[in-house]
Amino acid sequence: MRLLTHNYLQSNVKGTEEGYPLGIVPETVEIDKSPVDRELLLNILPKLNYDAVLQAVEQLRPHCETLPNLPSTLPEDLDDELVNDLYFVLFDVHVKNGCLVCPSTQRKFPIRDGIPNMILHEDEI
Amino acid sequence: MSRPELTGPAAHFYNEKEARKYDSSSRMVGVQREITERAIELLRLDHSQPAYVLDIGCGSGLSGQVLEEKGHFWLGCDVSRDMLLVAQERMHNQANDDDDDEGESDDESMDGESNKQQRKSTGDLMHHDMGTGLPFRPATFDACISISALQWLCYSNAAHQNPRRRLTRFFSSLYTVLKRGGRAVLQFYPETAEQAVLITECATRVGFAGGVVVDYPNSAKAKKHYLVLSFDRNSEQKRKAALKDGLSSAAEEPQSVLVTGASREGAKKAPIRKKKGVKTKEWVVHKKETQRKKGKAVRPDTKYTARRRPTKF
Repeated sequence: MRLLTHNYLQSNVKGTEEGYPLGIVPETVEIDKSPVDRELLLNILPKLNYDAVLQAVEQLRPHCETLPNLPSTLPEDLDDELVNDLYFVLFDVHVKNGCLVCPSTQRKFPIRDGIPNMILHEDEI
Repeated sequence: MSRPELTGPAAHFYNEKEARKYDSSSRMVGVQREITERAIELLRLDHSQPAYVLDIGCGSGLSGQVLEEKGHFWLGCDVSRDMLLVAQERMHNQANDDDDDEGESDDESMDGESNKQQRKSTGDLMHHDMGTGLPFRPATFDACISISALQWLCYSNAAHQNPRRRLTRFFSSLYTVLKRGGRAVLQFYPETAEQAVLITECATRVGFAGGVVVDYPNSAKAKKHYLVLSFDRNSEQKRKAALKDGLSSAAEEPQSVLVTGASREGAKKAPIRKKKGVKTKEWVVHKKETQRKKGKAVRPDTKYTARRRPTKF
C-alpha cells in the first residue's frame, strides 16, 4: 500500500464520526523507486491532505531511515527537491505488512502483502 | 451462458484456482481488454494528463494494465483476495520485465512516451466489498471504472444483504468519492432487464446523471452494458426545479408520494359526493327551472322544496 492510498482511505464503519486519518502501525516497509511523474503529482496535490502525509511519515520513520524531512506546511511554489521528496513519500514507499487504525474507534484494518483489508463485518455495515 | 453470480459470493467463487484460470485465459484477457478500452473511451479522460482512477472489482488487474498503458494511476479494490494476489504478482512481474528491458535508469525523471512505457506498475490494491460503501475521503478520484463487477451486487448471499440497499450504499459512496465533474463508467452483465433497471434506478436516485450504453445490442453473446455516470449540474438543477413543480419523472420517490397523496384525497371526496346524493336542493331547483322553461307545469319553489324527510318511509 502506497502512502497516497493511505491518504485517501478513511474508515467507514457504521457510527464512526471521524474516521480520518487512519493511523499506521507498520511492520515491514519497502522502498520501490520509480521515475518521478511531476504532472501526476501536481494533479493530485490539490486533493491531498498534507497533515495526514506528515502524520504517516512520522509513523513510518522508525521503520524506514531514508524518509525525507518534509516542511510542516506546503509552500505555494514547489521546488524540484520538494517535488521529488513528495513523490518519493507518496508513490515509492510501500507498507507491506502492519495495520491501519481508525482514530476514533481504534478499529484495526490489517495490511498483508501490501493489501489493506477494508472488509467490514456484518454488524459494521 | 453460465452465471457465476448464482453460485455464491464473489469472494468464494474467485478462489485461487479460479483466479489463475481467469488470468491465464487468453479469451478472458482479450475480452476484458476490449471492454476496458471502450470504458476508458466513454470516460473521456484527457490522456495527456495523468489521472487517478478508481477501479472497482479490479480482479487480477487486467483493466488496471490498460489504464497504465494510457498513463494513468489506479487504485483497484476487489472482494476476492486470491484475485488481488494474482494482480500483485502480475504487477511485480511487469516491474521486473521493465527492469530487464530498460536497465536501472529509473532514478531520473523522463518526459513523454518513454517515461510512460518504462515506468513500474502504477497500481495499488485494496481488499474491500463495494456493497458496504467505499472507504475514501470525499472528492478524491478523477474517475472510476468497473469491469464486469456491478452485477454481483444484484444477488443476495446472506440474510443481511439486500441488493437495493447495497447498490444504493455503493452509488452514494461513489457519488461522494468522485471529484466534482468526474465520470464513472461501470460495465456490467445484467441477468434480466429488471436488474439493469434496478441498477440505473439506484444510480439516479443518489443524484447521478447518465444512462446505459449498450454495445452490440443485437448479439446475445457480445452484448455489453455500460453504465455511464456523471455529475450533470444542469440536469440536477432541472430535476430539482421539476421536483418542486411535482412534474418530474426522474424524481420517482417524492413524486410518487405526491401522487398517492392526491389520489387518496380524491378517493375520499368521491364517496362524500355520492352520500350527499344527486338530488340536492340546487339540483332540484335547477331541474324545476329547466322544466319551467320547457313550458311544463311545475310546482312553485317553497321552503319545502327538496327538504329531507325526517324518516324514511
